[in-house]
Amino acid sequence: MTGNAIAMEDVRKAYGGNLVIPGLTAEIGGGQFTVILGPSGCGKSTLLNMIAGLERVTSGTIRFGRREVQDLAPKDRGCAMVFQNYALYPHMSVRNNIGYALKVAGVPKEERRKRVDTAAESVGLRGLLDRRPSELSGGQRQRVAVARAIVREPSVLLFDEPLSNLDAKLRHGMRMELTRLHDRIGATSVFVTHDQVEAMTLADKVMLLNNGEIVQYAAPSELYENPATTFVATFIGAPAMNLLAADGEGAGIRLPDGTLLTKTPFRGPVTLGIRPENIEIVPDGIPCRTVYSESLGSHSVIVAALPDGQELRIATPLGRRMTPGEALSVRFMKGAIRLFDPESGKRH
Amino acid sequence: MKHGRGGRTSSGSGTAGVKQGFYTGRWSYWTLVLPILALIAMFFYIPVALAFFWSLFLERPFGGGSEFVGFQNYDRVLSDPEFWNAMWRTLIFMAIAPTLAIGLSLILALAADRGIRISQAARNIIIWPKAVAGASIGVVFVFIFNPFLGIFAPLNEMYPGIWNPRIDGGDAFATLVVAQVWNGIPFNFIILLSGLQAIPDGLAKAAAMDGSGPWRRIVDLQLPLLTPQLFLTFVLEFVGTVVEAFGLIDTMTQGGPGGATNLLIYKIYVDGFKAYDLSGAATQTALLMMFVIAMVILQFRLERFVKYER
Repeated sequence: MTGNAIAMEDVRKAYGGNLVIPGLTAEIGGGQFTVILGPSGCGKSTLLNMIAGLERVTSGTIRFGRREVQDLAPKDRGCAMVFQNYALYPHMSVRNNIGYALKVAGVPKEERRKRVDTAAESVGLRGLLDRRPSELSGGQRQRVAVARAIVREPSVLLFDEPLSNLDAKLRHGMRMELTRLHDRIGATSVFVTHDQVEAMTLADKVMLLNNGEIVQYAAPSELYENPATTFVATFIGAPAMNLLAADGEGAGIRLPDGTLLTKTPFRGPVTLGIRPENIEIVPDGIPCRTVYSESLGSHSVIVAALPDGQELRIATPLGRRMTPGEALSVRFMKGAIRLFDPESGKRH
Repeated sequence: MKHGRGGRTSSGSGTAGVKQGFYTGRWSYWTLVLPILALIAMFFYIPVALAFFWSLFLERPFGGGSEFVGFQNYDRVLSDPEFWNAMWRTLIFMAIAPTLAIGLSLILALAADRGIRISQAARNIIIWPKAVAGASIGVVFVFIFNPFLGIFAPLNEMYPGIWNPRIDGGDAFATLVVAQVWNGIPFNFIILLSGLQAIPDGLAKAAAMDGSGPWRRIVDLQLPLLTPQLFLTFVLEFVGTVVEAFGLIDTMTQGGPGGATNLLIYKIYVDGFKAYDLSGAATQTALLMMFVIAMVILQFRLERFVKYER
């Protein structure tokens, strides 16, 4: 089964006079895993709730396949949702939690039992069906929430930051399981998060929101390699991309104090972006001075000051330790430099 | 009796090996609880114990010794039809008033919780009457239900004599029930509303996604999760019908007309302090206490249906 595509056209949401989403148009591919990413307060949960039918659109249309759904109740849209804090019914057993939607829909008891068993099996919950949610661990509760969502075989599966309550190790495991689950059931999955790692690992496509508007909507690798704006550049990747205020003088780009950064041809003031891992430490490059360095085991991150005082984050796999004040010289790797307009932040 | 959430938490911290509280030495505990213990003993345990004690004696109305008579007082009271009438009225009152007081509060709380129109204002208006004393409520309701000046005066003009709580026992009883219910609503409303608001928002959303409409969510989700608060109001209302009703009866009907509103609690007062049947009053107090204790035990047996998990 392949899930429906979701088409949003000029969707707006206002609370009172406060415009949270000022007209958003996008299409989410059927059967794809799409992650809506953005800082808190960017409107990503509101957008998800409008897709789910938990909040009304102020104006605009939302279509599942060919069907307009923006005025339908959640239950009539054929989508299911996994919530951040699980939202399990505390007074019901795991079996009744998973089967509640079927019960409401009037599915006969025998069939309900079978489908609950199948859903529980697929997320590894066998043997826990008679427990109460309060008797489960965080990871198990999350599985119940997922089982509850997939038991109705929805064509659209929505996730509202479902992993943010889990510890790092469990989160990694759940990411793998969610990817596998998505591949198996083939529903259109929309996953909201503020965690860029989740976005990078889970998504076929990432929709990056800021202030209710789409900043960039592309594959994760595209977001990482070719950020559309300085906002994307700093939001994706840890440590974030370096953004340097610089001037193009035709044959190259220099810092305001005249230090030559690169021979990339450009003219006029510019914001130069370079990812920390695309900076090499070389014998005779741009001179700088170590401010701080930390070793993360697999690599080290060095914060260095350029001659004009701007800071540069450098990720080096050498495991090399630098002491503050130590001088080093670096080179920006060819083809890794991204140039942005200093006024609008948009990419040149 | 099973322990609720509070019980579990305190025993939990105890097993964690942490010394409970901030005070060292057993005397500081005692000095802190002593004032309240003294008050409870003085105004509750000692009088109740004395009532039981006196119920076994025949007390002279104007002093001058008493005489041990065993269970003769009980014999006399239990064979008095007036006692059984008062008991029966108490039971009917107990069945009607709490049901209405909790039912109406529940409807109001559900509406306020859903945030329907003007619920913000309504919430305040409903809570304010809590500040009115029971006796004042009685006085006010006597006026409101006055057959010639009150809200039913126009009805009486159309059908003379259809409403008169001073003559008609049924009307008087209804007036008493209305006053008691009105008196109970603010408190029940606060408790039930806070209970409803403590139910996480996400649950309603999850249920909506599961296809459950607002009415179904009340039955499947809100009521089960509200059982702790419902249980609390239920217990308090039941005790209240026995205790608080006194102030209302005394200001509104004095047990009349024709004993129609003479509940056991009021009969005890009249027998003891107006008719000076001190032994009879003590005996009835003892019987009433036993009855209330039996009711409360029965209610706590129902506690196993209460869902404390959140």
